[in-house]
Amino acid sequence: MRQLLREPLVHFVIVALLVFAGHAAWTAHVAARDGTITVTQEDMQRMAALYASESGVLPSPEDMAAMVSDQIRDEALSREARRLELDAGDTIIERRLAQKMSFMVSDLADTPVPDETTLRAWYDAHPDAYTAPPNVTFEHVFLSTDATTDADTTTLLNTLNAPSPPDWHTLGDPFILQRAYGDLPFRETVRLLGTDFATALFALDAGDAWQGPVRSALGLHLVHLIAKDDGSLRPFEEVRSRVEADWRDDALRTANETAIANIIKRYKVRIEGAE
Amino acid sequence: MWKTLTLATTALALVACSGNKSDEAPADIAATPESTAPDGATPGYSAERNAYFGDMHIHTRNSFDAYIFNVRRDADDAYRFAKGETIKHPSGFDMTIAGGPLDFYTVTDHAEYLGVLPAMNSKSSPLSELPRSKDMFSTDPAKIQAAFQGVGASVRSGDKIEEMYDEPLIDSVWGQNIAAAEKYNEPGVFTTFSAYEFTSVTTPDDNGGFGGGNLHRNVFFRGEAPDRAFSTLDSTNPEDLWDWMDAQRAEGRESIAIPHNSNVSDGQMFRLETYNGDPLDAAYADQRNRNEPLVEITQVKGTSETHPDLSPNDEWANFEIYDELLASNIVSKTKGSYVREAYRNGLKLQEEQGFDPFRFGMTAASDSHVAGGAYAETDFWSKIGIVDGLPFQRGSVPMPGITDWADQPDNQTTKNAKHWFSRWSASGLTGVWAEENTRDAIFDAFRRKETFATTGPRMKVRFFGGFGYTADTLNATDLAKQAYAGGVAMGGDLVGTGEAPRFIAWAIRDANSAPLQRVQVVKVTSSGEAVYDAACSGGANPDANHRCPDNGSSVDITTCTTADGSGAGELKALWTDPDFVPGQRATYYVRVLENPTCRWSTWEANRNGTPPNPDLPTTIQERAYTSPIWYIPPA
Repeated sequence: MRQLLREPLVHFVIVALLVFAGHAAWTAHVAARDGTITVTQEDMQRMAALYASESGVLPSPEDMAAMVSDQIRDEALSREARRLELDAGDTIIERRLAQKMSFMVSDLADTPVPDETTLRAWYDAHPDAYTAPPNVTFEHVFLSTDATTDADTTTLLNTLNAPSPPDWHTLGDPFILQRAYGDLPFRETVRLLGTDFATALFALDAGDAWQGPVRSALGLHLVHLIAKDDGSLRPFEEVRSRVEADWRDDALRTANETAIANIIKRYKVRIEGAE
Repeated sequence: MWKTLTLATTALALVACSGNKSDEAPADIAATPESTAPDGATPGYSAERNAYFGDMHIHTRNSFDAYIFNVRRDADDAYRFAKGETIKHPSGFDMTIAGGPLDFYTVTDHAEYLGVLPAMNSKSSPLSELPRSKDMFSTDPAKIQAAFQGVGASVRSGDKIEEMYDEPLIDSVWGQNIAAAEKYNEPGVFTTFSAYEFTSVTTPDDNGGFGGGNLHRNVFFRGEAPDRAFSTLDSTNPEDLWDWMDAQRAEGRESIAIPHNSNVSDGQMFRLETYNGDPLDAAYADQRNRNEPLVEITQVKGTSETHPDLSPNDEWANFEIYDELLASNIVSKTKGSYVREAYRNGLKLQEEQGFDPFRFGMTAASDSHVAGGAYAETDFWSKIGIVDGLPFQRGSVPMPGITDWADQPDNQTTKNAKHWFSRWSASGLTGVWAEENTRDAIFDAFRRKETFATTGPRMKVRFFGGFGYTADTLNATDLAKQAYAGGVAMGGDLVGTGEAPRFIAWAIRDANSAPLQRVQVVKVTSSGEAVYDAACSGGANPDANHRCPDNGSSVDITTCTTADGSGAGELKALWTDPDFVPGQRATYYVRVLENPTCRWSTWEANRNGTPPNPDLPTTIQERAYTSPIWYIPPA
């Protein structure tokens, strides 16, 4: 096994060095005061051997790097939990807190209250998040293709567009899903009726007249496209609460990552072979 | 079928003078909903119910076996995957769900030693100091194997490894899974449930490992979940699980358990005795039906509908059969392991003793252990992480460097592939008919058994039984409304009137998968079973043996391209049982078959430029199964 591992370890060392170059700031902050997290050659062999024995192949350098970085993160967080004596005492609550250290970190991190300018800046920087997806409101009369001819379709279309048409609900073949949809986003239209139908439907103009037929994988549809929204940026005022939630989520996540990185900084991380 | 325009024009005249149409909404109101949604309903609500798809069976790093398979993704990652985000497979590649986001999804980690293995592998945890931990995460494959087998043996026997059983840790990880389910549940968009797997396994002889008859169940809670999950370390007896669920229910915590992989239960899942070998009785049946109204009929480890030995006259019975007991090469006993046979035995018990413990509806799931299910033949990653994540590990292509199957070596990898992974499936999904995508509506659908199971594609199928349906009903534009009003939907009981019931079977294809070939009705009685083709593609009629003609579709194995023939987008039938016996109980369910397509193993072989594995089928006929309708003769 040892012999087998030699070559990927060499690869790994190269990747590890690259990883460490990207963490110059991190290593600069290394302080010995709380000890060292050591990832030994043996640790890595152990991970690689476990991986190899389970998978039948040796881990790639990327696999190794991911396993090592997971290990360091878990180790730093759980040591920090112990340093804070979250494992002390005899209540279950404390032990649960120890298990939820990373969750706690985000609670402890300061998240300032955003002002209007901050929120507007966030909104401006993330227009996609606040753009309503293209959506349509339509009714359709379904024609099972088995028994439908072009002449049938044309006649039915004329009937629907006649000056005093019959109730469209009574026309055509039964449809297994709904026959009227409101504000249906493109993605949902694809899920219900397929890409071809959705593309064709969204290419039509909304109006009073019945149009089509539009073909789906299920059959033909005469459609009354009542409204089509091409997807527009929703006004800030309308989405303000979502903007705030998104901003806060991001701020928390960033604060969380920073806090975890700060915890890791308190340890000297030593990866054998990478020095 | 739609009957030309003369009918439509006549309809105009009829509508004008018809009094009973007054409840129809006027035609000129924009997008008139066809039913009125109650206050507080989410967008898309439909009284005639929508089809939603989901997977109620997903494992993450906190399952003891998944962690050993190098799975490091957690419940958050699992839910993100179901919502369409891309996550990493332990073997390093990206996983994105085929066919777009799911409507519901549930993480069901093994409750036994939940979250304990990650702690055993963390130097900061006292658990990592255990000799077992040092073995489990050592460099010696024999020690790893022995340590892992020991955990499996404990899960199976129910004998706790005391030093490993860190209850506060287990409860806390259970709390994390509950929190993740709460976080991702979004009424109207995405539904989650708090859930876990109860991992009971029987074995006739103690082999020291995990191998044995699979009696696994997934337990999920409608709303609030309890502080701890009842596992095999409390009792290996599923009846004790039901007692616990009953007690939780009495305190307002409603749940359902779904058993799975009866196909590898060694005849135990539907055995005609209790767990301890006592005779079944009405109280047992009541308790089982109350707690287990559903069964999982297909998933990655094979399909449990029926077996060719049990259904020799069903040409489609030999489908994705997988029959080796977990982690072993022992072949599972066939009798007592398949759903159709259980329906039959249930009717027999009902007729002879007045109770039926096997009145379950159908679901399907992936049982993925990598947080994300592989449902598409075109994009398969199997289920146990770095053990079967690559094509050569699962025997769809020869070992690296080999191009001819004749040169395939005989080693542990190829042995595992041959016995296990090559025979696993890109399956499955549960469909439900529910008014809206909320926990309550979806849970109610599960309770009603208004569910269907698919082997991966998202075809949709409705099934109704009643006495007043006519050809006109089948062509009525408000067919679903009339069908609900005039009968029962899948999962229901149809109490007889003396006349033959009429059934409506109605299916549409998945636009991302193959067209439909046929819709069948499967009839089960205490004395036998029969499969009837009810609707054929191309408008063809079944012959005297109730079989559709060949629809002309084909698959080119070398490219996996298909010719549709007369394959259909929609199939629909009004069906009456030609062999109906008014006084005899009968269980009817629908099976929908797609045109054949390439199996996942063929897609992988083609991508690799090597011939398909000669031991495997090259094509597959994806399918859907509905929950049954139970016909009960008039008293």
